[in-house]
Amino acid sequence: MIDCRRPETVDELLEIIDTGKYRIFAGGTDLMVRKRQWQGAERRFEEDIVFIEQIDELKGITEDKEHYHIKTCTTHRNMEKSLVLPECIKLPYRLMGNPAIRNVATVGGNIVNAAQVADSLPLLYALDGKILLKSKNRSRILTVEDFIKGKYKTDIRENEFLHEVIIPKIDITGFRYKKVGSRKASILSKFSVVFLYGMKNDKLDYIRVSIGAVNELPVRNREAEERFVENRDVKEFLTAIRKEMEGTDDKRSTKLYREEVSLRIVEEYLSEILRGDSYE
Amino acid sequence: MIVEFKLNGEDVKVETGLAMRLLDVIRNDFDLKGTKEGCAEGECGACIVFLDGMIVNSCMMPMNNVIGKEVVTIEGFSKTERYKEIEKAFMVEGAVQCGFCTPGMVMATEGLLKLGISLTEEDIKVGLSGNICRSTGYEAIYRAVRKLTQEVVLND
Ligand SMILES: Cc1cc2nc3c(=O)[nH]c(=O)nc-3n(C[C@H](O)[C@H](O)[C@H](O)COP(=O)(O)OP(=O)(O)OC[C@H]3O[C@@H](n4cnc5c(N)ncnc54)[C@H](O)[C@@H]3O)c2cc1C
Ligand code: FES
Repeated sequence: MIDCRRPETVDELLEIIDTGKYRIFAGGTDLMVRKRQWQGAERRFEEDIVFIEQIDELKGITEDKEHYHIKTCTTHRNMEKSLVLPECIKLPYRLMGNPAIRNVATVGGNIVNAAQVADSLPLLYALDGKILLKSKNRSRILTVEDFIKGKYKTDIRENEFLHEVIIPKIDITGFRYKKVGSRKASILSKFSVVFLYGMKNDKLDYIRVSIGAVNELPVRNREAEERFVENRDVKEFLTAIRKEMEGTDDKRSTKLYREEVSLRIVEEYLSEILRGDSYE
Repeated sequence: MIVEFKLNGEDVKVETGLAMRLLDVIRNDFDLKGTKEGCAEGECGACIVFLDGMIVNSCMMPMNNVIGKEVVTIEGFSKTERYKEIEKAFMVEGAVQCGFCTPGMVMATEGLLKLGISLTEEDIKVGLSGNICRSTGYEAIYRAVRKLTQEVVLND
């Protein structure tokens, strides 16, 4: 029999995970599938579990002057309905899973699970998102990029948990988001493209392009972004991104399809800026 | 351990594990067989119930996340006036063939109607996107929901 714990506060949770032997369980939409078992049987958890969904301190979205703070147990539904967050953050959450999944799937779960297809990762890469990890004796803040180490791999330590996501506020003039899957809703991504840009005094100030699910980790190339702002060379930008693509064929798609189509979408977005098309 | 929650309007207690699925508890401990198991992985919606008024897949819901909350299954929902309107629309439009997806479809339909806003075709498709039907076909179901959104929203 596995041991299941149900702390009511963050302090209790920190004590429990300090022993280093508990698996954290939030909404369960990844874990319940992975630990599938016969009808009527308890799920096949090998480790002891600590549940965190009941901890009210771990829910909610707030903002200060420079950041949005999103607590780990905030659901995808909370994200899509938020009055605090801008549309470019809400949209990817609105397109994840299906309504019943979004009602329980959590923001923190999507990050720590670190699937290649996790749709929040390209968004958080593009926004330079950070996370706050806590353990009994210390806290540390990492960029999402430094935290995610590979497919299903993160830098989390046994006695730590993800407390919140911190997203720096930036002036966004326009954004585009495209999730491509084999159907429109309730589907895991073949790939996704997050595109943001900012103008200052009528001049292009920055672009941010991040592509999810093509590689094990989202693709983002800051140098190429800066070069593009200087020289507006679409071809050069696309070549730089293509060099970083190292995906493989799998059941969802092929390497060729993912790379070609995602780059064409990026090309279209960049051309839109150069043409001066207005963004909503 | 003893888990307490509200089931179809009544306070209930059940001896179970925190990692047991709500689906198994309602079907086996409470003998409510209207909630179905299809895929067991959140894709098909046959197991949808309301948890504190929101649709959730009971196949993915551990009992821990149900403690102190209110669960309504298709059996509980079938006692409401709204259910009768949905049942009638599904019957008139022929939106039921084998019936396996139907309890989940009805719950997801209520999830949409509850929003109390007029719904576009896109809203209806997104609202039912977590419900898979392999026999009736979606068009008859969409027709029934379209009709309901017109009637129910106008009446409310
Ligand atoms: C039908 C279906 C459709 C889906 N569609 C999508 C989709 O379109 N896009 C997408 O990206 N994902 C999708 N998912 C995957 C899943 O819903 C998300 O990854 C979700 O955000 C996971 O959150 P959770 O709370 O349910 O995670 P859980 O299953 O509770 O946990 C996932 C992992 O994160 C760890 N964890 C959770 N919270 C913490 C924390 N605070 N600190 C440390 N570790 C933690 C757990 O130990 C576990 O390893 C889908 C899943 C299903 C079943
Ligand atoms: S059985 Fe739960 S979604 Fe299919």
